[in-house]
Amino acid sequence: MLGRMTRGAPVQWARPVVRYVVSLGSFVLVWYAASRWENNPNLLPSPQVVFKQFVLMVQSGELLSSVWSSLGRLLLGYALGALVGVPLGFAMGMYLPLDQYISPLIEILRPISSIAWLPLGLFIFGVGNALPLFIIFYGSVFPFVINTIGAVHQIDNRLVAAARTLGAKRWLVIFGVIAPAALPLVLVGARIGLGIGWMAVIAAELVGAPSGLGYLITWYETMLLSSRVLVGVFAIGMVGYLLDLGLRKLSAWLTPWWDGWRAND
Amino acid sequence: MTSGRVQRIWRFVALPLLLIAIWQIAVSHYVPASSLAPTPTGVIRGFVELLTSGELLAALEQSLLRIAFGFTFALALAIVIAVLVATWKPFAYMVDPILETFRPIAPIAWVPMAILWFGTGTYAAIFIVAYAAFFPIYVNTLAGVRNIDRGLLNAAKTLGARPTFIARAVIIPAALPSIILGARLGMGLAWAAIIAAEMTVGSKAGGGGSGGIGQMMFVFLLYRLDLRYIVVGMISIGLVALLIDAIFQLIGRRVSPWLNRGN
Repeated sequence: MLGRMTRGAPVQWARPVVRYVVSLGSFVLVWYAASRWENNPNLLPSPQVVFKQFVLMVQSGELLSSVWSSLGRLLLGYALGALVGVPLGFAMGMYLPLDQYISPLIEILRPISSIAWLPLGLFIFGVGNALPLFIIFYGSVFPFVINTIGAVHQIDNRLVAAARTLGAKRWLVIFGVIAPAALPLVLVGARIGLGIGWMAVIAAELVGAPSGLGYLITWYETMLLSSRVLVGVFAIGMVGYLLDLGLRKLSAWLTPWWDGWRAND
Repeated sequence: MTSGRVQRIWRFVALPLLLIAIWQIAVSHYVPASSLAPTPTGVIRGFVELLTSGELLAALEQSLLRIAFGFTFALALAIVIAVLVATWKPFAYMVDPILETFRPIAPIAWVPMAILWFGTGTYAAIFIVAYAAFFPIYVNTLAGVRNIDRGLLNAAKTLGARPTFIARAVIIPAALPSIILGARLGMGLAWAAIIAAEMTVGSKAGGGGSGGIGQMMFVFLLYRLDLRYIVVGMISIGLVALLIDAIFQLIGRRVSPWLNRGN
């Protein structure tokens, strides 16, 4: 997209940039005016104070270490969700009786959001790393399972039949035909699961973890340092955005033949 | 045919029943009573107790009222903004980058700020609900409006309809299936977010009366230490989620019967 734009006149790419700057610039101006009007930095700190705190928190390393501990939990819990969810989804998608046995359990558990497990999880695991891991795993495993089942079901039967006719063995059919054909929709599940997982990390850290971005924002809230809370809030948005962008790029790279990504933006 | 049905029913109930039986036997025979671990029968008794004392219904009523207020607010705001963004370019250039900056921020991340701004009560919860519901509705409405057949719009314009009339009589009805899909997603997210908000607020308010099902569960954890009631709370949250989703599916089928999509 960028390549196509730069080939034309420079005005073509300059215009969206100017629009972007005008839009966000006026938002910051309104924010600044509102903070002067409110005149209470505990409630609404001004943009430049938030920026200054952001720089301080980056310099002290505090922000990055919080990001890393949240990200580490997310990736571990999410990887567990994928490791359980994707093979289970493939097995359930290919073998109907297994689907009939396990689906009811999934449909009973799924409406109970991962967040609803927080009090019980807090009792069982206590404050620490196990609670966020469990909550993230629980939140991300269902999108993996359900999208993988759907992905296997939508595969064109003729592909499998053709491979079998040509003499492919069972494992070759699974890894050479079914897995690549299912990949795009499995990755859609991965994207949904990542979004839910990131929300689950923050929720779990708000009530039951001694570190991470969720812990950081409640900690500064009790200290009434709103500027630092806002730095944490924007960091949560930024990391969430980058995770989603990274997964989208990875998916587009892994499945170049599938164009659902552009439609899904 | 009947044997096929028997087999289907058996497969449907087998695993849940097996797990509940293991849970019951394991807790009542192999776990010391001092561990506070609840049994399935204990949970059922707890459910009846909370229902008859009225605590459960009062908490659910409070949470659902907050959802209703926050959601209605988000719905109105999201539809108006999405229609404006889709049809009025300068407005889109001004508003879209701001919204796209805020969209990735999880609603739960705003809980501490909401407590600072609105205190540990209903207004903080309504703010979180509205924030959570806004973005799915906005994104889906925008996509729905952008996908409207140009022919419909051109016909309305050619026939001399005013912009407000076009919005009301052409754009909104044509985008309605997308709006309802967005509302369904937004409601699901709002229901998860309000539980988190009420729990966090509840853990701060020292058991005081911020109310709602989320806070009720936290009080059972911190002050009354009854795990049966916590499980009852979890099951209620799941049941309400199912109920809300069923209502939205029903509305979707009522409002756009020409779409026979199989969900």
